[in-house]
Amino acid sequence: MSFLPNLFDGFGAVLTPENLLFAAIGVTIGTLVGVLPGIGPALTIALLLPLTFNMNDPVGALIMFAGIYAGAMYGGSTTSILLNTPGESASVATSIEGYQMARRGRARAALATAAIGSFVAGTISTVLLSLLAVPMAKFAVMFRAADYFALAVLALVAVTALVGRSMVRGLMSLSLGLFFGLVGIDSLTGQARFTFGSVNLLDGVNMVVVIVGLFAIGETLYIASRLRDLPATVAPLEPARGFAWLTRSDWSRSWRPWLRGTALGFPFGALPSGGAELPTFLSYTYEKKRSRNREEFGSGAIEGVAGPEAANNASFSGVLVPLLTLGIPTSATAAVMLAAFQIFNVQPGPDLFEEGSPLVWALIASLYVGNVLLLLLNLPLIRVWVKVLQVPRPVLYASILVFATLGVYAVSGSIFQVLLAYGIGVIGFFMRRYDFPIAPVILGLILGPMMEEQFRRALGLANGDFTVFVSRPLTTVLLSLAVLAVLVPYAPRVVARIRGGQATKIALAEDD
Amino acid sequence: MADTVPSGRAPIGPRVLGGVVLLAGLGLLAQAIGEAVERGITVDGPRLAPLIVTSGWVALATAYLIQAWKAKPAQDDGESAARTSWFVPAALMVALVGYALVLEYTVVGYVPATAVFFVVAARLLSSRPVREVILRDIVVALGLSLVIYLAFTRFLDIQLPAGVLPI
Repeated sequence: MSFLPNLFDGFGAVLTPENLLFAAIGVTIGTLVGVLPGIGPALTIALLLPLTFNMNDPVGALIMFAGIYAGAMYGGSTTSILLNTPGESASVATSIEGYQMARRGRARAALATAAIGSFVAGTISTVLLSLLAVPMAKFAVMFRAADYFALAVLALVAVTALVGRSMVRGLMSLSLGLFFGLVGIDSLTGQARFTFGSVNLLDGVNMVVVIVGLFAIGETLYIASRLRDLPATVAPLEPARGFAWLTRSDWSRSWRPWLRGTALGFPFGALPSGGAELPTFLSYTYEKKRSRNREEFGSGAIEGVAGPEAANNASFSGVLVPLLTLGIPTSATAAVMLAAFQIFNVQPGPDLFEEGSPLVWALIASLYVGNVLLLLLNLPLIRVWVKVLQVPRPVLYASILVFATLGVYAVSGSIFQVLLAYGIGVIGFFMRRYDFPIAPVILGLILGPMMEEQFRRALGLANGDFTVFVSRPLTTVLLSLAVLAVLVPYAPRVVARIRGGQATKIALAEDD
Repeated sequence: MADTVPSGRAPIGPRVLGGVVLLAGLGLLAQAIGEAVERGITVDGPRLAPLIVTSGWVALATAYLIQAWKAKPAQDDGESAARTSWFVPAALMVALVGYALVLEYTVVGYVPATAVFFVVAARLLSSRPVREVILRDIVVALGLSLVIYLAFTRFLDIQLPAGVLPI
C-alpha cells in the first residue's frame, strides 16, 4: 500500500476550493459538450484545449481535463440513450438497449443505471489504476528502445485489426495517420520530410488540427450530405417519481453487469487492444447470453445498458495505465489527453512517477473526485441536458463549425492550420461516407513518430544489427502478440477451412 | 447475398475513391524514392520510414481498388449512394474557406464574420423555409459570436481579430 501516502497528497492538492471549482467546471462543460450529438470525448477535449492555455498551474488544468473527460463520457451515454446517436463507437452498445428503454418510457432508469454504473466502474478502476501505476512504472523503467518500438507496433496493429469491419480499410486509415506523422522535421536529424516546400508544415501536422478536422468538420459534412434521414426525435423523459430513479428490481438487475463490465473494461483498456469498443460489445453479448430476461433484449433490457456503460468507463482508467506509465496512448481520447499533457510540458512515461509524482497523483485523485461530482451534478441536472439535446440541428452543426474553426485558430494562431483542418475535414467526410475507421489515423499520427524514433535508436545503439528486435524476450513477446492480433480476425475462417467445414464468420456486432 | 439479382449500377464511389487514393500514394511514393536516391538511405536514417509508409499506402490502395472492382452491384453501398447529397457539403466547404479568408485577410473582424458565416451555414443545413427560422438564426449568430469574442479576449487572454466593431 505504498501508494497511499502519494494518493493522499494527491487528494490534498485536489481538494482545495479552487481546484474543486476547476473539477466542477470541467465536469459541467464536458457534459454540456459531450451531450451534443456527434461529439465524443476526443473531440470534446480537443475543442476545449484552448480554455486552459493561459492557466499557469498544470495541476488545475489536468484536473479540469479529468472532469471534462468524465463529463464528456457521461454526456455521450445520455445522447445514445435519448437520441440513439452514439458520439463514438464505444457508446454504440449502450445505445442498443438504452434507446429502447427510453422509447418505452424508462429513460430515467436507463440514464440512472448508466450514471451509477459509470460511477461504480470509474471508482473501482481508478483504485486498480492507483494500485498498478507504480509497479507498472517500475517495470517500464526496464523498457529499452526496441521494446518501445515493439509496443508501439502492437498498439497500432491491435487497434487497427481488432476494431472496425475491414482490415484493408483499417490499415489504409493507419497509413494516412502514419503519413501525417512523417510530415515535418525529423526529430533525430533535423531533415524536412513531406513539407512540400511550405514553412507551415515544418512543425508537422498538429494533432488537434487532425482531430478537429476528422471528427468535427468531417462529421458535419457527412451529416450535411444526408440531412434527409436524420433521426430528430428525442425520446421523452417520463415524469419524475421523487428520488427513486431505479426500482428495487432495477438495482438487482444492474449491479452484477456493472461489476462484470468493469472486470472486462479495465484489462482491455490496460492492454493495447483498441480501447473501449471491444469490451463494450463483449459485455453486451455476455449480458445478453446470460440474462434471465433474455427476451427483453432488443426491446430495452437494463442489463444491456449497465454492462457496456460500466465497461466503457472502466476501460478509460485502464487506458491510463499505458498512457501514464509508458507514454503510449491506445485510444483516440488517450492521444488527445497526451496532447493536453504536452501543452504543459508533462511527458508521460516511467520518469513521470519519479519527477512529476505530485502531478500524477493529483491527476489520479481528480479522477476519483470527478466521478463523485459527475454523480452529484448529473442525475439532478438531467432536465438541463435533455434541453441541450433539443437544440435544432442547423443551429447545432453551424455552432460546431464555428467552434472547430475557433479551436484551431486559438491553438495555432495561423490561418494555414485552419485551412489544413478544413482539408482534413474533407478527407474525414469521405472516410465517414465510405466507412473507414477514424481512430487508426489519430494513433498512427501519435505512435508513428514514436515507433520510428525508437526503431532508429534501437538500431543505432546496436550498430545496425537487426537481431536487436528478437534478442530480448520482452521485445519478442510483444512483436509476436502483434502478429497474433493480425491473424485473430482471420482465425475462424482458417480453422474452418482446415477442418473442411462450413466457414463461420464471426463479427462483433453481428450478434443481434 | 452474392446471388442477389443485380439491380441498378455498380457502386462507382469506392472505385473513384480507390483511384484517387492510389494516385496520391504513387505521388508520395515517387517523392519518397526521389529523396532516398538524392540523399542516400540507411536503416537508421530519416529516409526509410517514408518509403515504408508510402509503399504500404500504394499496396493497400491497390487492394482496396481490387475489392471495389469486384464488389457486386446493389450491395449495401448502392442504396445509400442514392441518398447522398453532394451539394450541401460542397457549399459548406466554400462557406468555411470564405469565412477563414475573411477572418485573416480583411478588417471585418471576428464577430461580424462569424455571425454571417453562422447564418449561412445554418441555412445550408436547414430544410425549413427561410422566414420561419431566419430570425432565430440571426439572434443565435450574434449572441454566440459576441459571447465567444468577449470570453476569449477578456477572460482567456486569447486575441481574436477585433475588426470594425468598437469592442
